[in-house]
Amino acid sequence: MVLLEHVKRRLGPGVIFYCEHFHAAPGARVALFGPSGCGKSTLLNLTTGLLRADEGVIRVDGQEIQRYSESKLDAFRGERIGFVFQTFNLLAPFTALQNVIVGMRFADVIPDKEWKERARAMLDRVGLGHRLHSKPGTLSVGERQRVAIARALVNQPRLIVADEPTGSLDPKTADGVMALLLELCEQEKVTLLLVTHDRSIADRLPKIFDCTDLVKEAQS
Amino acid sequence: MNLWRIAWSYLWNRKLTTLLTILSVALGVGLISAVLTLREETQRRFEEEGQAFDIVLGAKGNPLQLVLSSVYFLDAPTGNMDIAIFNELKEHEDVIAAYPVGMGDTYKGYRIVGTTRDLMDFSYGDRAPYALAEGRYFEAPFEAVIGANVAQETSLKMGATFVGTHGFVDSPYAEAHENHPYTVVGILERSGSPNDRAIFCDIQSVWDVHSHGGEHNHDDQCEHHRPHDEITAALIKLASPAIRFEFKDLVNRNYNAMAAIPIQEIQKLYEQLLGMAKLVLLAIGYLVVAISALSILIGLYMAILQRKRDLAIMRALGATRGEIFGAVIIEAFWVTLLGILAGWFMGTLVCLALNQYLVAQIGFHVSAVRLTADLIAAYSAVILMGLVAGILPAWQAYRTDVARDLAEL
Repeated sequence: MVLLEHVKRRLGPGVIFYCEHFHAAPGARVALFGPSGCGKSTLLNLTTGLLRADEGVIRVDGQEIQRYSESKLDAFRGERIGFVFQTFNLLAPFTALQNVIVGMRFADVIPDKEWKERARAMLDRVGLGHRLHSKPGTLSVGERQRVAIARALVNQPRLIVADEPTGSLDPKTADGVMALLLELCEQEKVTLLLVTHDRSIADRLPKIFDCTDLVKEAQS
Repeated sequence: MNLWRIAWSYLWNRKLTTLLTILSVALGVGLISAVLTLREETQRRFEEEGQAFDIVLGAKGNPLQLVLSSVYFLDAPTGNMDIAIFNELKEHEDVIAAYPVGMGDTYKGYRIVGTTRDLMDFSYGDRAPYALAEGRYFEAPFEAVIGANVAQETSLKMGATFVGTHGFVDSPYAEAHENHPYTVVGILERSGSPNDRAIFCDIQSVWDVHSHGGEHNHDDQCEHHRPHDEITAALIKLASPAIRFEFKDLVNRNYNAMAAIPIQEIQKLYEQLLGMAKLVLLAIGYLVVAISALSILIGLYMAILQRKRDLAIMRALGATRGEIFGAVIIEAFWVTLLGILAGWFMGTLVCLALNQYLVAQIGFHVSAVRLTADLIAAYSAVILMGLVAGILPAWQAYRTDVARDLAEL
C-alpha cells in the first residue's frame, strides 16, 4: 500500500530526511514512533504528497506520487487519503455535519446527493448522531476528534494518516478515540499510519516503525 | 456545499468585520447611485417640461435665464419685451399656439404668473399640466388658480383672498399690493411640474397692478411705465419641433427680442455646468469605493493570514489551489455585491429624502434609484474593483504551503 525507498528530502541547511525503506501492506496498521523532531511527520507529509521528495521512490496505492502534478496530487489525496490531526483541525464556521460534508466536497468522489446522508451515518458511527449541528467550539475535545475521524473516513479512503491523534486528549478520552480509530480502520479495511511519540499508543498497533534515525546531518 | 456557501460561511464567521466592509462599499455606491439618479431624473423632468414649448420669447439677455424664469419659474426674468412683437409673431404661419407671460410679483415666495385663459387648456403628450383638482379657471382679472404646492404650503383654500408682493424674493420688506387682492377660484392637480409652485391669473391682473394707477412706484427691477404694452415672456408652440432653430434665428435676427429653445438651454446647462458637478461628485463616489476596495483587500488579507491553517486543511482534504483562490475571490464578490445592494438602498433613501426638497423647490418628483445604463456600468466598475481587491488575498491563499501551515500553530 505504502512504499518509500531511498527517499531523500532536504529540510534545511545541513539537515536532511532520509528513509532507506518503509513499507506498509494494504490494511496494515503501523505506528510511526520516535521522539519529537525525528522525522515522523515528514515521513507522513512525503507519503501524502504534502511534501515533495528530492530523491527516491514513493508509491502509494500503486501510484508513484512524486511524478504527479500538483492538481493530480490534490485529487489523489482527496480520493484516497484521510487525515486525522493532533489538534483536530475542524473548520470553525461549520457544524459537525458540515465539516464532514466539506471533506466530501473537496474529495469529489461521492455524488453530492449522498453527502448529507453519508455524513449523518458516519457521525452516527462515531457516536455523534446527537451533535450534528454543533459547531466545533461547542464540542468537547474528544467529540472534535471523533468528528475529525468521521471526516477522514467518510470518503472510504485507502489510507488514513493520523498525526498524534491523541496528543491533545486526556488519557481516558485518548483511549476511547484510539479504540474507535482502530476499530473503524479494521472494519473499513483501510491502511493506517499513525504518528506518535507515546510508546503506549504505539504498542496498540500491530506494527511499529522506528523513525529515530530519519533526520540526520547531510554529508558533504 | 459549494464554494459560494463556504465563502459565505467564512464571512458570516466574522460578521462585524464583514458588516463594516460592506458598509464602506455601500457609502461609495450610495453616493454614486444618488448622484446618477438625481442627475438623470432631474434632467429627464427638466427635459420633459422643456419639450412642452418649442420657443420662449423674452427680452434680450441670457437665454438660459429666460428659460429658467418663464418655463421653470426659477430665475428672475431678463426684462420685458414689446407686446407688439408677440402679437406679430403670434400670427406667424409656423406658430400654432402662443401664450403671453407677465410676472413681477410673488405670494409667500410663489410666483404670480399672468397669462391668457387658453394656456390652461394646454397639454402635450399625455400630460395635462394645468388640470384642475377643484374649482374653475380664472375668467376675470384678480381671479387666481394656484398650484398644488402653493395650496399645500400656504393653506389657501377656494374663495380665499391674498395680495402679491413685489419682486421674486420672499421678503418681509417687499412692497405688498394691498389694493389688488386676488381670489382663489381654482386649485391645480399636482403635476410634478413647476406649475405646482405657481399662481396663475389673467395677465390683465399683472398689468393693472403695475400700471400708473397702481399704488406703488416700482424699483428698477421691474420698471413698468406702460405695462399694457409689455410682457415678460411668451411661450410658443410651433407646427413642428424641426423648425425650432429656424424660428429662433428669425426672431433673434429681426426683432428686439430674444428667442430661446428650452430643451436646448437645459441640455446645455446639464452638459456644461451640472456635468462638471456630476463629475466631481462621481469622482468622490469612486474614491470612496476605491477606499472600500482597499478595506476589502485589508480585511480579506488579514482573514487569510488568520485562517492559513483552515486553507491548509482544505488543501489536505483535496481542495485544489484554484478552488482556494476561487473561494477567496467569491468572498470579495459577496462583500462587494452586498455593498452594492446596501448602497442602492442608501442611494434610494437619499433620493427619497431629497425628493421632498426638490418637490418644494422645483416641483419635480424623483423616484427611487432605477437601474439605468449608467448605473449598471457604475455597479459593474464597483464589482470589478471588489474582485481586483480580492486578488492579492486570494493569491496569498493560493500559495498556501500545506505542510508548513499544518505544522505551525
